[in-house]
Amino acid sequence: MHDICREADAINEQLARYGVKFGIYKNNVFKEQLFPFDAIPRIIEADEFAYLERGLRQRVTALNCFLADIYSDKKIVKDGVIPPEFIYSSSGYLPQCEGVKPPKNIASHISGIDLVQSQDGTWYVLEDNLRVPSGASYPLIARDLCRRASPRTFRERRIEDNRNYAGLLKQVMDYVNTGGDNVIMTPGRYNAAFFEHSYLAEKTGAALVTGSNLFVENDVLYYLDYSGEKRRIGAIYRRVSDEYLDPMNFLPESLIGVPHMFDVFRKGNVAILNAPGNGVADDKGIYYFVPKMVKYYLDEDCITRNAPTYLPYYEQDRRYVLDHLGEIVIKDVAEAGGYGVVFGSKLTRQEKEDMAALIQSEPRRFIAQDVIDFIDIDIMENGERTPRKADLRAFVLSGEDVVVWKSGLTRFSRDPDSFIVNSSQGGGFKDTWVLSR
Amino acid sequence: MGIITVEKADHLFWLGRYSERVYTTLKLYCDGYDSMIDLDDQYHKKLCELLDIPDIYESKDDFISRYGYDKTDPNSIISNLLRAYDNAIVMRDEIGTETLAYIQMALYGLEAAACSEAPMIRIQKVVDNLLAFWGCVDDQIDGRCIRGVMKFGKRVERLDLYLRFQRSPSEIRRNYSRLVPRAVESGMPYNKEALEQLKQTIQAPVIDYDAALTQLGRILDV
Repeated sequence: MHDICREADAINEQLARYGVKFGIYKNNVFKEQLFPFDAIPRIIEADEFAYLERGLRQRVTALNCFLADIYSDKKIVKDGVIPPEFIYSSSGYLPQCEGVKPPKNIASHISGIDLVQSQDGTWYVLEDNLRVPSGASYPLIARDLCRRASPRTFRERRIEDNRNYAGLLKQVMDYVNTGGDNVIMTPGRYNAAFFEHSYLAEKTGAALVTGSNLFVENDVLYYLDYSGEKRRIGAIYRRVSDEYLDPMNFLPESLIGVPHMFDVFRKGNVAILNAPGNGVADDKGIYYFVPKMVKYYLDEDCITRNAPTYLPYYEQDRRYVLDHLGEIVIKDVAEAGGYGVVFGSKLTRQEKEDMAALIQSEPRRFIAQDVIDFIDIDIMENGERTPRKADLRAFVLSGEDVVVWKSGLTRFSRDPDSFIVNSSQGGGFKDTWVLSR
Repeated sequence: MGIITVEKADHLFWLGRYSERVYTTLKLYCDGYDSMIDLDDQYHKKLCELLDIPDIYESKDDFISRYGYDKTDPNSIISNLLRAYDNAIVMRDEIGTETLAYIQMALYGLEAAACSEAPMIRIQKVVDNLLAFWGCVDDQIDGRCIRGVMKFGKRVERLDLYLRFQRSPSEIRRNYSRLVPRAVESGMPYNKEALEQLKQTIQAPVIDYDAALTQLGRILDV
């Protein structure tokens, strides 16, 4: 590992060479930034990963059962496990998806589960990302470069090879494909994750397309090649949000969507990865209920642990939240990417009063969690090891099997006083090593 | 990957054109820079005229700085390289990360030259990366039509620039003969009649360069 750290600058130069960047808008101006890579990896022991693997497979299986149920029978609501308000007031719930069964009945094909590890070693799930979770491409390309920088490290240590991600993704696309080509749909060059879209297209052999390349004819989705020939699409890994997918079914002002694409999906003529409507399951409010889902659908105890969470919607929880506002973290369920996260300890007295009033007037809008003092991981800064907060995004791919990718995106905060690790807020990333023994 | 959309074909074509424009104009710029050191104070005026771009430059020093590196000057070399980059970045899935990297590095190189006390010595890296880019296109891209579309763009641009600079008939004819097979291989629709007329024009004992340029421009009118 020492070799890799020694070559950190060379690795970062190579990442720049390959354009490993993310886009960011500041004051309405688009800028591409390199995603800073720290060469000290996160290391997960084999038995620890085996535990995570079991838990994540179980969790995602239950979430897929939930999505199938919620857009059909809604047994979990009828049986009183989840209050209907949490479904119907969720911005991710799409009534258009009622009665729609995705190919092979899989809705969340690529799930990004955000975890942190507390000081006592316990792993906690912080968020389930079931819409368009991004980030797998970064450790994927970084691993290639680390192996070049230090072959000895990978010869001497038994580290699971993570470079099968594109292969796993392709298997999932092939499995749900309804007959036709696989494509990856990007909103375009100026999307924050465009590097990932184009890199995964290259690695999976799928065509990278934008909405303007696609059209619907007789309930089939096509793209047109440059000689004028129509190519049928069987699976579309879209990196476009639900509301922009199809102006005829969702936001009519969307210019990046494809008219009637959702109708093709509804008729079972194309697989959309991930399926529209998944937002209802990765709503921060629904997160609270995931352990209950596991019990309800699988009749098993939930292996993964949620961070201790309070729903102001429930009076008892609301009282607790208001009484402990200075000690907890409050999250706006409608926000993502590290936005809408407020640490009570950082609020002024006036801000606390305002927040308390907001929670009382809009209790469904927030969740609150105990602050987990998650472990620091060392990064190299100015040639010295220095600790920083870091999380882990694990990727679970659901096709014929439910597979947990033996790696993940470890993001760290570059600000020593911050728990926010998102790239959009200045964080960097590390490779994640899963040891094979 | 042999199937590409119309939009992608357009990006590939313009990637070929802009990368060639940068390559050829960089060479002219370097030659001109040398002569502007102590030989020819008016070189930049001639270059603007030949390239048919407005002479907005206040002096030869202003030209050296802005024509090379000013991103707000739409005719500058760096602006053309950014256009090549814009067309390349959306083609990663077709041309591959390795090939794309050379355009990326050419851009880093030109940006580094812009900040340097001695930019001209650093431009060689940009030229090297552009040459490596085309080497990588040949070596790494399997799709014949993808290579064909890019090279069609490259050959159109090369001939366009050579006609503007009224290069010798033998150079013009050689570059015409390199263009024709690329037009066919690209699979793109093109105006065969215009291509034939261009052939007649450049075969004449004295080439009518303006007529040839017009005919070249019509090749893509279909």
